[in-house]
Amino acid sequence: MKKIISTLKAPAAIGPYSQAVEANGILYISGQIPLIPETGKLADGGITEQTNQIFKNIEAILNEAGYSFGDIIKSTCLLSDMTNFKAMNEVYSLYFPENKPARAAFAVKELPMGALIEIETIAIK
Amino acid sequence: MKRSLIIIAVLVLIVSFTFDTGDQEKKTVRRVITLDNTQVKRPYSPAIEVNNTLYVSGQIAVDLATGKLVEGKIEEQTRQALKNLRNVIEKAGYSMENVAKCTVLLSDIANYSTVNQIYMEFFPKDPPARMAFAVKDLPMGALIEIDATAVK
Repeated sequence: MKKIISTLKAPAAIGPYSQAVEANGILYISGQIPLIPETGKLADGGITEQTNQIFKNIEAILNEAGYSFGDIIKSTCLLSDMTNFKAMNEVYSLYFPENKPARAAFAVKELPMGALIEIETIAIK
Repeated sequence: MKRSLIIIAVLVLIVSFTFDTGDQEKKTVRRVITLDNTQVKRPYSPAIEVNNTLYVSGQIAVDLATGKLVEGKIEEQTRQALKNLRNVIEKAGYSMENVAKCTVLLSDIANYSTVNQIYMEFFPKDPPARMAFAVKDLPMGALIEIDATAVK
């Protein structure tokens, strides 16, 4: 049984995907880039601002689905440049003070809309 | 008489509702797998286990004692990354045979077949489902990163 999660408080999908899908108590959240939900544009600023915006978007989707950050068990962090790794980690660690999810992080060639970062997450209740 | 029946009915409803909610909010047991004897400090856990599924973080060829990448090229790095992966998996009480899916990230797709040779040593029989591709760059300038999902 799969349930499509949709909220106006997170950016609308920019392609043929759902913001998140829940199935058997597992929430698969699509890779989030730092789009501002109201404007559909990238958040101003550098890696710190972009990472923060992504977590706001993830939070909105988690809330809509009835999950919280503590339910996230795995994340994948895609960076446009490995030099942003440390600054990303600083913001990232604020959202996971304990029970940190498993993670894979790496730099890719390019991200949608020229974003500096994209984060995909899986949460389990 | 009628009123007391209604009150009882309401009470029964409340009680059953409370019990239902209790069941729904029962939290899944989650186990954080940690490693002793490591200098490596990162904002993620080596692995998380929930519902008999183990989600293992991407492993690079770090020597856990020094926190630095091992010496050598793709052969040595692949072997070390897979040893680190196996270490986390076994620490969690799983085995490499439990691995259902891996993601292999390479800094250079030219290393693909060399990686496969070493990868097969760690998964000699019924290898896991896999996705492999070259990325732009890996943490610490690593040549390879491998994550895994294992199921018991």
